[in-house]
Amino acid sequence: MDVGKSHYLQMLMLPTKLFLCDLVVNQFAALQENLDKKLFGQHLVSKVVVKAVRGFLNNTNAKKPLALSLHGWTGTGKNFVSKIVAESIYKKGLQSKYVHQFVATLHFPHAHSINLYKDQLQSWIRGNVSACPRSLFIFDEMDKMHAGLIDSIKPFLDYYELLDGVSYRQAIFIFLSNAGAEKITEVALDFWRNGRTREDIQLTDIQNALSVSVFNNKNSGFWHSTLIDRNLIDYFIPFLPLEYKHVKMCVRVEIESRGYTVDEDIVSRIADEMTYFPREERIYSDKGCKTVDAKLDYYYDF
Amino acid sequence: MKLLKAAVVFVLAPTLTPAFDPLSVSVMVGGAVMAWHLFSSDSWLKCRFQECCKKNSTVNFTALKAQLDNRLFGQHLAKDVVLKAVLGFSNNPSPKKPLMLSLHGWAGTGKNFLSQILAEQVHPAGLRSKFVHLFLATLHFPHHDQVKLYKEQLQNWIRGNVSACPSSVFIFDEMDKMHPGVIDAIKPFLDYYEEVDGVSYRKAIFIFLSNAGGDLINKAAFDFWSSGKHREDIQLKDLEPLLSVGVFNNKNSGLWHSSIIDRNLVDYFVPFLPLEHRHVKMCVRAEMAARGYAVDEKIVQAVADEMTYFPKEQKIFSDKGCKTVQAKLDIHEDFVMRDMKSRV
Repeated sequence: MDVGKSHYLQMLMLPTKLFLCDLVVNQFAALQENLDKKLFGQHLVSKVVVKAVRGFLNNTNAKKPLALSLHGWTGTGKNFVSKIVAESIYKKGLQSKYVHQFVATLHFPHAHSINLYKDQLQSWIRGNVSACPRSLFIFDEMDKMHAGLIDSIKPFLDYYELLDGVSYRQAIFIFLSNAGAEKITEVALDFWRNGRTREDIQLTDIQNALSVSVFNNKNSGFWHSTLIDRNLIDYFIPFLPLEYKHVKMCVRVEIESRGYTVDEDIVSRIADEMTYFPREERIYSDKGCKTVDAKLDYYYDF
Repeated sequence: MKLLKAAVVFVLAPTLTPAFDPLSVSVMVGGAVMAWHLFSSDSWLKCRFQECCKKNSTVNFTALKAQLDNRLFGQHLAKDVVLKAVLGFSNNPSPKKPLMLSLHGWAGTGKNFLSQILAEQVHPAGLRSKFVHLFLATLHFPHHDQVKLYKEQLQNWIRGNVSACPSSVFIFDEMDKMHPGVIDAIKPFLDYYEEVDGVSYRKAIFIFLSNAGGDLINKAAFDFWSSGKHREDIQLKDLEPLLSVGVFNNKNSGLWHSSIIDRNLVDYFVPFLPLEHRHVKMCVRAEMAARGYAVDEKIVQAVADEMTYFPKEQKIFSDKGCKTVQAKLDIHEDFVMRDMKSRV
């Protein structure tokens, strides 16, 4: 068989397959814009995510699926970012049938059924990627996922051309977890205490801090230690804890989205109600931007 | 001779069937002949549209050497051994046992890549070929309580495929995670039998990939470096004693080898050395060229510097070999590059 011809046929079929996956046409403008407008306080994230996703989608000859690991404090925007990424790629966003979300505590709760989960997950991934090569898989709460189950996904993330006749090289995997959040906060606090701005924090500062303590410690419960052994994660994207000013931004956006005029007094009051850590300095919000909209209901009467 | 017979049939056929006009008869006969060719195996017509197993396939030495030189970086030992092994095997008209290569080394050093290049030389479609089979221990044999099932299935699969195409290639990845029971199932096929149940396995190729022994190889490479010797001076004989002591004799290494090398069924142990900074730069350059950009040395340097290296003080060998280089390139891409590419 002439190999060149088969590749040519594959390339011809590629646009039709992408069309079948219901993809948005101009993906990057929306992604950059949404991340800039809607995501607060994560300067590292917007830079890396846009370049990573853009580079991957533009590359017709990707050697492995894109694997992003988003980790950090709660309420800092991890699920939010994966939602924005899904919306910028697929027409129906998270509702698209080519986007699959797995929550470890919900979908894989029982440790004794691990074999069943492994088989099911592998079949699910295999079936969906063969139907739509550009599928998106989001795994939430990875720090609570059984190590054996993570191992079962590993083959799909690797550099294989074909696995049982299916190519996974165009799929995207996003992993969300809270692991490493304390270390990231430490780095951010150090910067704050030394009087440096938040925007000065570089990716390398965080990566160095994480690798020393967390990746090398198998008891840290940091699930990455299995996946990074094989270096299958393309990008580790850290989420910094949110400060007072970011919480205010969240409140403002929520008010505007409900159609009210922004009253700065109310914004400050709501932001003040949130709890902050560490106890003395009180800089970072405990829950990020979570529960902000609930507090809003209290202040606005109808 | 065949052509003559065909010509004779074509000329005489109309006379033998006076009921039809000559044109229809020729068309029918031609159609019948084409159909027969298409459905029979190994006819030239079928092999133009579908993949065929070549009965007497030999590997092209210059092509294989060129591929290895151009695409595989930093593995002088592996290239040497594989070239000699594969050529010797394929040029031998009647090998006594199937070729068995065991590739060991750190992650990202090129084991899968090498087996892919090799498969492409034997069967042009490479890993997509019907006659090249890739097995992953964690994917295909995940549950340790189903070893009996896996054994049977694997044996049937190998037997069926080798009888269809004697020069099949079987690649087993993640051997260090494979259950020993499953490996035992493959042993009979690797041995010096002329035939097993009527099927001859002597022309098949088995490639085993694993990370086992990788740390020992790294240590040897580091010792060479610290004593000031060149990487290219490392010989196989420097590595083999290390491997046998540390890995094969150690039943706790999780390594199956203790049973297969007892019988000396592994033809060649191919060690993969960890990659240095300059090899990572070669990988980056190759990736940039593959994407159609002009090679920018600043970007190459930047990407190579971003990778992490070990040991911690000297920082010589890349932690991940050449893995994730592609992804890092995406970050360093800028609009200049995209501009250049769109104009190309």
